Amino acid sequence: MLGTVTQATFTPARASNRLAPKALTKKVGMPTTPAPTTSPQTGPPAKPPNQHMRRNPPIAGEAEAIAAAQAGDATSFEILYQMHRRRVYSLCLRMLGNVAEAEDLTQEAFLQLFRKISTFRGDSAFSTWLHRLSVNVVLMHLRKKGLPLVSLEETLEPSQDDGPRKDIGSRDLTLSGSIDRVTLERAVENLPPGYRLVFVLHDVEGYEHNEIATMMSCSIGNSKSQLHKARLRLRELLRTGQRKEAE
Amino acid sequence: MSAPKKTDAENAKCAEFQEHLAELFESGEDPSTYPHLAECENCASLVRDLQYIAQQAKLLMPIHEPSDQVWEKIQHAISEK
Repeated sequence: MLGTVTQATFTPARASNRLAPKALTKKVGMPTTPAPTTSPQTGPPAKPPNQHMRRNPPIAGEAEAIAAAQAGDATSFEILYQMHRRRVYSLCLRMLGNVAEAEDLTQEAFLQLFRKISTFRGDSAFSTWLHRLSVNVVLMHLRKKGLPLVSLEETLEPSQDDGPRKDIGSRDLTLSGSIDRVTLERAVENLPPGYRLVFVLHDVEGYEHNEIATMMSCSIGNSKSQLHKARLRLRELLRTGQRKEAE
Repeated sequence: MSAPKKTDAENAKCAEFQEHLAELFESGEDPSTYPHLAECENCASLVRDLQYIAQQAKLLMPIHEPSDQVWEKIQHAISEK
């Protein structure tokens, strides 16, 4: 239940049985979830190493919640859930394109967080660490389902209908300035799974190609190629939508 | 008003440019400065669109919200451990 938590302690990882049903006795009010604001800056901001870091700024109260959760405080674990649920769920949903699966894997990601939080040492931002954990949960799920992480269309000739085509000789609508967030989200949902994964990881989430290649067990060149094809396919999808609207 | 039809030679130039477009994007070079684009509105439009898509994707924020059942299931799973 959101809004209340059971006051109990737990120690993730080895001694997680401290959150036993017997301990679930006293309900306490859920503290106000700290707003996801950045910490006050004391000087000129340092240039982040990449977009992913830029999009994972420190959250007020997060460090305290992590420390308390690592010490076994259940309330703090729920605070961490409240802080990061949208980011983890949005990632899962965009990678999978399916609400039920995205919810299942959000659950799995936070259960893994519960088991592993004691291993978080602060070498990277917590949100970056959790994000990577969540990506791995999704990729593992897809591997278990036997789905290729890299689009099968990669192997098809460009002239085949499913593959992105070269845009030669056609003059048509231009997209610039005309696409809203909802339209783009819908188009991303309609990408073939392999294209969608790379597009979401690179263009939306800000991972670098070398990181994607490692996570997806493919070459950097393959990641680059998939991204380009994903953008071409998105353009087709968006232009098709525009044409339909114009009719 | 429809644009004049492109010749085979012009189409070949477009094909060659688009063949290398992925590398151009990933090289960190600005593809919009490529000479072919000054003479080909079709390819210029393609580059603008791909850049626009990449820019818009960066603006997609984590706005999706999981249902309340997700936390309930997490709590339940943890309590069973």
